[in-house]
Amino acid sequence: MQLKSPTILIVDDDEGHAILIRENLEAAGLSNRIDHFRDGQAVLDFFFKTPHDAKETFLVLLDIRMPKVDGIEVLRRLKADPRLRKLSIIMLTTTDDAREVERCHDLGCSVYIQKPVDYEKFAEAIRRIGLFVPLMLVPPVSPH
Amino acid sequence: MADTNPASLSHADLVERVKTLERQETATFRELRDVKAALDEHSIVAITDPSGKITYVNDKFCAISKYAREELIGQDHRIINSGNHPKEFFRDLWTTIGQGRVWHGEINNRAKDGSYYWVDTTICPFVNENGKPRQYVAIRTDITQRKADESSLHDLAAELAEKNKELEAIVYTVSHDLRSPLVNVQGFGKQLNRACDIIRSAAAEAAAAGGGVPVEKLKPPLEVAIPQALRFINAGVTKMDSLLAGLLRYSRLGRVALTIRPLNLNGMLGEILAAMKFQLDEAKAEVHVEPLPACLGDNVQTSQVFANLIDNALKYRHPARPLRVVIRGRVQDGQAIYEVRDNGVGIAPEHQAKVFEIFHRLNPETTSGEGLGLTIAQRVLERQKGKISVESTAGEGSTFLVSLPANDGRS
Repeated sequence: MQLKSPTILIVDDDEGHAILIRENLEAAGLSNRIDHFRDGQAVLDFFFKTPHDAKETFLVLLDIRMPKVDGIEVLRRLKADPRLRKLSIIMLTTTDDAREVERCHDLGCSVYIQKPVDYEKFAEAIRRIGLFVPLMLVPPVSPH
Repeated sequence: MADTNPASLSHADLVERVKTLERQETATFRELRDVKAALDEHSIVAITDPSGKITYVNDKFCAISKYAREELIGQDHRIINSGNHPKEFFRDLWTTIGQGRVWHGEINNRAKDGSYYWVDTTICPFVNENGKPRQYVAIRTDITQRKADESSLHDLAAELAEKNKELEAIVYTVSHDLRSPLVNVQGFGKQLNRACDIIRSAAAEAAAAGGGVPVEKLKPPLEVAIPQALRFINAGVTKMDSLLAGLLRYSRLGRVALTIRPLNLNGMLGEILAAMKFQLDEAKAEVHVEPLPACLGDNVQTSQVFANLIDNALKYRHPARPLRVVIRGRVQDGQAIYEVRDNGVGIAPEHQAKVFEIFHRLNPETTSGEGLGLTIAQRVLERQKGKISVESTAGEGSTFLVSLPANDGRS
């Protein structure tokens, strides 16, 4: 099966952060489609409530502190779902709190990056994530 | 004396010996009486027979147990059993003293009037010539105050640990929230740098080409990049300023002197609703206040809590129906409990715990505010020995429950 280049999902309640991330992704040489979600609930709805093309793959850039459902909870719920467990998730956050980093890694995030994010950090993360691209396949969601 | 043969003693010697013995006995008796007097001054003393029946109690025993001596003599110690120790505790005690060994421990007893007291207890068994217990002498010291102090110290330590955890959570949240606008200031600052580079090189190119304004090259930085960067930088600075102001407001709460007095909540709510009449009328909101019990609290701070709850009800009203708020109250276990029930948008169960978190806002895009109202309400109420909690069904409405110490008289 031919996989599409992953769509990058930026999940961040701060519009400025989302713009900066998008600009940096583009500056790092990525031409993937980029979608923006303003809180954790929105991205959960996207994964759990909308049908997806079987060939579509995703890379999730997830902020931690967001209104409604925070990034940790989104990570936990995505990783708890057998169909979504293999999704590549980069946690983006403003803190480098060791306990939080550990918690994210325990829950199965692929990479943890502290904001502000620059090209170099992104390029490095994308290189690391590149190894996981085949795992980013999301099976189609059967409508409930 | 062992080497003297009584048969060889004269009558006078014998008389002398008896007198000496009598003197010694009197001295021993006097000494014992002195020691007992001192003991009675200091300790709670009881003597029981081998079966556990009380044969003697001193005045202090009667005073602390609040029983008259006649009520105690002939009874066993079950009369003051508090029921607060497991059966094994007393089994161990009886096994120890039954074997002729001294028992030492702390016992919680119940006085005649139902009050509880703690005694540090030593029970000495005295055995007869067969090695069987003849009687038990129990000497006790009242440690009720020490036990109470220990318990309050323990509670205080737990409370401090809890406060410390809260404080840590606040520092964590605040540092995160303060860095968030900073990321924009830094990121869009870089964008300004890049815009400057573009303008500089466009100007250099234009100068080399013999002058003229390079309008086309200046358009993107001047019309898009720079205004966007400035918008986010300014918003970031404003946000940091308001976060810091909020933090100061929160920290100041702990220093405000409270004047705790009986509060008439119906009067207070009347004033609050009158002050908010314009916003309430504009939203076509109806607020129904039932007769409320009085409570003890600080007038200004408590009034702020209720004003904030009504303001929240307005902010989070359901777009499809006019806001209805019902405020009622009851007294339960010495606490006046007030319910502020609305028919607004409600809060999903997974979001309910977060509403009291500092700077947390459920709908930052559609509602105004700094995310401090409920955090402050919680802190203000805690300082007045009160509490706040929420019950809610998403889409149907929320009920905020505020409790404060009840005042005996009704308002």
